[in-house]
Amino acid sequence: MSNREIVAENLVKRYNGNVTAVNDVSFRVKSGEIFGFLGPNGAGKSTTVAMLTTLIVPTEGKATVGGYDVVSAAGEVRRIAGVALQEIGLDPLMKSMELLTIQAQMFGLNRRQAQERARDLLDLVKLSDVTDRRVGKYSGGMRRRLDLALALAHEPAILFLDEPTTGLDPASRRDIWNEVRRLNKQLGMTIFLTTQYLEEADELADRVAIINNGGIAVEGTPADLKAGLGAESINVTFRETDDAERARSELAGMAERAQVDRKTLRLYLSRAAESVPAVVNRLGQTGLEPVSLTLTQPTLDDVFLHFTGQRFSAEDMPEAEVA
Amino acid sequence: MSVISNPTTLAGIRRPERPASMPFFLQVTTMTWRSLVTIFRTPAAVIPGLLISAFFLFVYEASLGNASNFLPGLAGKSYLAFILPVSVISSALSGAALAGEAIVRDIENGYFNKLLLTPISRGALLLGPMIAGALVLGLQTAIVVVVGLLMGLRPETGVAGIAAVLGLAVLLGVAFSGFTVSIALRTGSGAATQGASFLFFPLTFLTATFVPLSLLTGWIKTAATYNPITYILEAMRSVLLTGWEADVLARGLLAILAMAALTFSFAILSLRARTRRR
Repeated sequence: MSNREIVAENLVKRYNGNVTAVNDVSFRVKSGEIFGFLGPNGAGKSTTVAMLTTLIVPTEGKATVGGYDVVSAAGEVRRIAGVALQEIGLDPLMKSMELLTIQAQMFGLNRRQAQERARDLLDLVKLSDVTDRRVGKYSGGMRRRLDLALALAHEPAILFLDEPTTGLDPASRRDIWNEVRRLNKQLGMTIFLTTQYLEEADELADRVAIINNGGIAVEGTPADLKAGLGAESINVTFRETDDAERARSELAGMAERAQVDRKTLRLYLSRAAESVPAVVNRLGQTGLEPVSLTLTQPTLDDVFLHFTGQRFSAEDMPEAEVA
Repeated sequence: MSVISNPTTLAGIRRPERPASMPFFLQVTTMTWRSLVTIFRTPAAVIPGLLISAFFLFVYEASLGNASNFLPGLAGKSYLAFILPVSVISSALSGAALAGEAIVRDIENGYFNKLLLTPISRGALLLGPMIAGALVLGLQTAIVVVVGLLMGLRPETGVAGIAAVLGLAVLLGVAFSGFTVSIALRTGSGAATQGASFLFFPLTFLTATFVPLSLLTGWIKTAATYNPITYILEAMRSVLLTGWEADVLARGLLAILAMAALTFSFAILSLRARTRRR
């Protein structure tokens, strides 16, 4: 099987001599792996992707994609890599069929093959019924899906996705996640994914690196990263504060720590999801009726805080509703 | 090179045979076609340019039409045929501006990056909008010529002569647009690109614009002698007024090709600078 690795060695990008966007970043992404590159806005994620995909030239350091040097063999890198940047790259005056056909032709398909390929991809991203409409009239989610389809036009061996779900609604986000998994499983594509969301990296990535202020703060599997963090919590909200207080006296023993915050009881425990049934049973026995029950898992904020000592600025993912 | 060696499918899609890359010529025609499509999807950007050159022709002819009677060397000849190439060259400027504006638009909407990420030749990527702009200019020139014919233009060399003027105009458009594309790549700004295309404006007047080169004196004669536009004007004029003159045509063509080589190299260097700087 061909080389589908991504290797970065001491990558540095400085602008105008002194603004350092990426500072001494090194990592190795194995063939067939989904690698999550996690960090807040302005951490250096997009600059790293731009260097790996030949859009900008590194100031220092070296990187190879599929064994090809991103500077001296840029043409080969472009041939094997598919890229969907954070900023969607679509001409609003053109139609999806036209864009996809051109894209496939640039990778060597003839016009007929390219059109066939375009139709298949439009089916894949569920845009087959709007091919006659100019892209400028598409919704944000539709544009994001078309942009992904363009990145897949040549069936790349290595796929770069720069914040593919930022700004998407939860349903579109799930669609993208499923597609990423499918591309990785069915085609063995190596996928380099940047994200601001721990949940996203957790769902998808085999390994994760956290980048902050241009440098890598920590690298490991999502499970490893979370293991070093504080406990998860189950949050039960009642109609009255009194109910929450009563619930605490009944349930406190089940948690490592229990705390009432207005009408909400927070139970901190290390394996919160697995404890939900027990908590629900116990509540049933006490006769207390909760209004809602939510689960809080470690957020990127927590991981970030732990490894960098700073607060993280990304918006939080919505809490997972379990009841 | 086969990248994906196992014949699995992408979500059930049949995988096309791994192809070689697209031939350079086809890359250029594809990019040109694509630019033309977008240019004509915003007709408001094209139509004024199409009409303004014909307007200039009207005004020049109306105000200066009798001048040939007073100008040595032009006596008995058509001033219309003399002034028409000036109209053509000023429309070449607007054709060139289209190319720069197309690049700025692509940079702004992100599609330029999308294309840079494909194996497309960097030359084809820039030539597409340049040729598209020049073809629009060709259309503009054709309108000027038709208006000229309606006003009584009778070119010495007939239809072939008109074709020659059109051909020179399109080449000149490519040569000019290399410059606007360079500015677009360096600034990414529509205002800067439009401003830069005005830099060429003096060039169209520091030449034998209204009278033949032999009648100019002083500094403007010096300027005109070194201005490549002079030789392009002379080539077009000789075709319309005198007949086929190989040396005049060759000088005109050489002037255009020299300009084109210069501006296109500048454009390629500007693209390279862009990936270093960003």
